[in-house]
Amino acid sequence: MLPQAIINGILLGAVYGTIGIGFSLVWGVMNIINLAHGSFIMIGAYLSYTIYTVYGIDPFLSIPIVMVLLFLIGYAIQRYLMNLVVRGSVFITLTFTFGLQILIANICLLIWKADYRSINLSYSGASIPIGGVVIPVVRLGIFAVAILLTFLFYIFMKRTKIGLAINATAQNYEGARVVGVDVKNIYSITMGVSAALAGVSGSLIAPIMSINPFIGGPLIGKAFVICVLGGLGSTVGALAGGLVLALVETIGTSFIPSSFQNLLGFVVLVLVLIFMPRGLFGKRLYNE
Amino acid sequence: MNKKLISIIISVAILSLLPFLVTGFWVRLLTNIFMFAILASALNIISGFTGYAAFGNMVFFGVGAYTVAVLMNKYHFSFISSFIAAGFISILLALILGFLLLRLKGHYFALGTLGAAEAIKYIIDNLTELTGGAQGITIPSMKGGPFLINISFYFIMFALLVIIVIFTWWLSKSRLGYTFKAIRANEEAASVMGINTTIYKIVAWSLAGLFTGLAGAIYAYWFSYIDPPTVFDVMWVVRMFVIILIGGAGTVFGPVIGAFLLEGLSELVWSNFLNLHLGILGILIIITILIIPNGLASLTTEGKGLKGLLESIRKNRVNAL
Repeated sequence: MLPQAIINGILLGAVYGTIGIGFSLVWGVMNIINLAHGSFIMIGAYLSYTIYTVYGIDPFLSIPIVMVLLFLIGYAIQRYLMNLVVRGSVFITLTFTFGLQILIANICLLIWKADYRSINLSYSGASIPIGGVVIPVVRLGIFAVAILLTFLFYIFMKRTKIGLAINATAQNYEGARVVGVDVKNIYSITMGVSAALAGVSGSLIAPIMSINPFIGGPLIGKAFVICVLGGLGSTVGALAGGLVLALVETIGTSFIPSSFQNLLGFVVLVLVLIFMPRGLFGKRLYNE
Repeated sequence: MNKKLISIIISVAILSLLPFLVTGFWVRLLTNIFMFAILASALNIISGFTGYAAFGNMVFFGVGAYTVAVLMNKYHFSFISSFIAAGFISILLALILGFLLLRLKGHYFALGTLGAAEAIKYIIDNLTELTGGAQGITIPSMKGGPFLINISFYFIMFALLVIIVIFTWWLSKSRLGYTFKAIRANEEAASVMGINTTIYKIVAWSLAGLFTGLAGAIYAYWFSYIDPPTVFDVMWVVRMFVIILIGGAGTVFGPVIGAFLLEGLSELVWSNFLNLHLGILGILIIITILIIPNGLASLTTEGKGLKGLLESIRKNRVNAL
């Protein structure tokens, strides 16, 4: 029972990590909590659902399409809306992004209706038995993609010019401006990358969870916990935070009733905020 | 000021007579508006005056509602005594949470309060023996005909609204209120000036918690049935935030005006478009923040007339990147 719970937790944790990385990127770079992040995940999930049901394309193969579309959505939202209010108070940005979140949820409700949707892949029952545990093939694939993307994102932030410009803007906004970084554009790209990562997370959870227009709220709750656990703006931290949350959830439910599962995440969130406000690793700035 | 006082007395007089002249629908609508005005005014104390974005403030609403529900259902208390108990428990909760969470600032405080609110929701959800859990809990309803019940809740809610508005008005002139505003303007400077910011922040949050909890207590008795997802819904706090945004944060009447506009419009106009309800609220939030982030109260800061209006809008906008 316990080894299986640990395996499930690790496999799920990588996706939680992808959710956390995108969320923490925007928070770390622009100092805003993007409450619409959950809706980006939801759009990603719906897009891969639609591509799968209409064109029969496997959700793993449609990931590049979903990423490009979500990048464009995120870029446009930042460029034409968020950049206008990103300098406002916490009060302003929280309410604004919540407004976006419910607007997007309503649009999805009109397009896809309130029904629960899910993707049933032909190989969803397949699994690899190792020792006493089984590894479901779909979840293994999800894990692999999530780890690969985390790695690519890490390289992107460390090795590319745009990644370095994002880092510079996060560390010192005025300084970046002085050395010629187009901050408006960098902010928009940051939101685009964050949305693309959210979209992938959506594609990845679509085969294992059911989707409806209101999953954005619960998902953003998870993003909070992951991000706070991992510390603000750290890729490795977000991955670790995702693993910790997933393990707490899967192991926790083996010992306590499942109705307590949600409670557990929030208790962890509050305790970490109170006792370790810098997260488990004590990092603050992006890839510091 | 005299003009203002007269218009306030006239509004109070009209609102006191109104329920005897209109149908039950309007009485209930106004009661609902009063409730949101109370909730927004309460949030205004911690968020508007003190500058702390308490995104989990619905926790007091839910706990106040559940105090009344449990005491009346399980222990057969009267409404009055459970109402008073709800006030005490809300303050106690604010003291405990405030002690733990008010060392956090900005986004971290917002997240902490939200996390605590969600955690308490799930705790109440799981205390099935006491609270009825996910099944919800019924509250013995008030004796009397529909007219008497409607009127009673109207005046209970109205009385609480008058009390909180008078309190906020006093606050805006008092030393306590200036202390709160000093913390909002610059917490470190306030601390250097000898203000014990932690204690004042806890006081502000306890006051907000008290009024929110009392509104929740009345809501439970009024609706006769509550369950955790309803009373701990994050939408309560979002509506409070939007009301404050529309009316103007840190003002006395802003939350009341905002509540009339938002809840009045949403009941009369959007309730006809059930599928679009959320989307319209979303668009309203976005437009309000883009055009008047400091609320309607900021529209006359640069003088009167159209020119003053446009100048006020321009001056009060959030600086774009």
